[in-house]
Amino acid sequence: MNLYNRRTLVGGAAIALLIAGVISYFASPSPDGLEKAQEELGAAAPVRQAVEVPPVVFQEYNLKWLGEGFWANAAAGGAGSLLVLALLLGIGRLLRRGGETLGGEGRSASPRS
Amino acid sequence: MHIASGFLSPPVWAASAAVSGTALAASLALARRRLDDRRIPLMGVMGAFIFAAQMVNFPILPGTSGHLGGGFLLGILLGAPTGVIVMASILVVQALVFQDGGVEALGANIFIMGVVPCLLGAAARGLWLRPKPGLAAYAVTLAAGILAIVAGASLAILCLWWSDALPRGISLAHALALMGGIHAAIGIVEGAVSVAVVRFVLAVRREAVLGPACADSYKEAA
Repeated sequence: MNLYNRRTLVGGAAIALLIAGVISYFASPSPDGLEKAQEELGAAAPVRQAVEVPPVVFQEYNLKWLGEGFWANAAAGGAGSLLVLALLLGIGRLLRRGGETLGGEGRSASPRS
Repeated sequence: MHIASGFLSPPVWAASAAVSGTALAASLALARRRLDDRRIPLMGVMGAFIFAAQMVNFPILPGTSGHLGGGFLLGILLGAPTGVIVMASILVVQALVFQDGGVEALGANIFIMGVVPCLLGAAARGLWLRPKPGLAAYAVTLAAGILAIVAGASLAILCLWWSDALPRGISLAHALALMGGIHAAIGIVEGAVSVAVVRFVLAVRREAVLGPACADSYKEAA
């Protein structure tokens, strides 16, 4: 992988990890806009059978074994960000392999001033 | 703005899953031609960033918070097809790993936070690809960012309404006004953050934002 792409990945991941791992701990605990509207409308409780996803590793945005503190949130946020990153790189690679039509290797070297 | 599990009726979640599934399939087909070496890493880190940003609820009104949607921003930076793929990936991870958003509501949530804002962002994308995006780009982005969030919020209420998940005494107009009002405020933040992030990413990774389709026009402009 060339330097340009490595810098995109390292820089972008560092920003995402800072936000997911540190800044998110200071997020507002208030209900979000939809939850608040549902509360005010008296529509906050499920009206039919909910699909329960078992909290295998993460209890919402906390790593289960660490309870609810800063580190539980940091681990969940960091892991989630990296999981999304890995998933998208995988999808991108698969798509790229399937469609070698435009923008082949020849173009990747160009506009760098 | 994730619809949780236990609210949508089978016809509503099935219909929205069909619509979003079709949109996602079309996005995968279209994105193929637009991905190049530089864009795949950008797509990945933008996904990680939006996932992270969605964890940061900010206070918006007393007792109410909001968080970034991100689909609008992705539409500007990556175009609609790639943006939809990124949002769908985030929403699937949130629903399956973090119990955030209902599994059966994924179709609706992908439409509300992915398809709709990505299309609006893609509509504003052209303004940012000019050599010097000016006040017009900022103003349109702010306005379209608010619109993207309010449109998504209204669709969420409609999905709940069609699912009989709102109490009988509540009128649709009242629910839409309440939800729209809260999300107009959240939308201002969405629009402003989108302007800031687009400016930053264009400053540091312009080539990756332009992608293969624009590589030649970029060379001419430069």
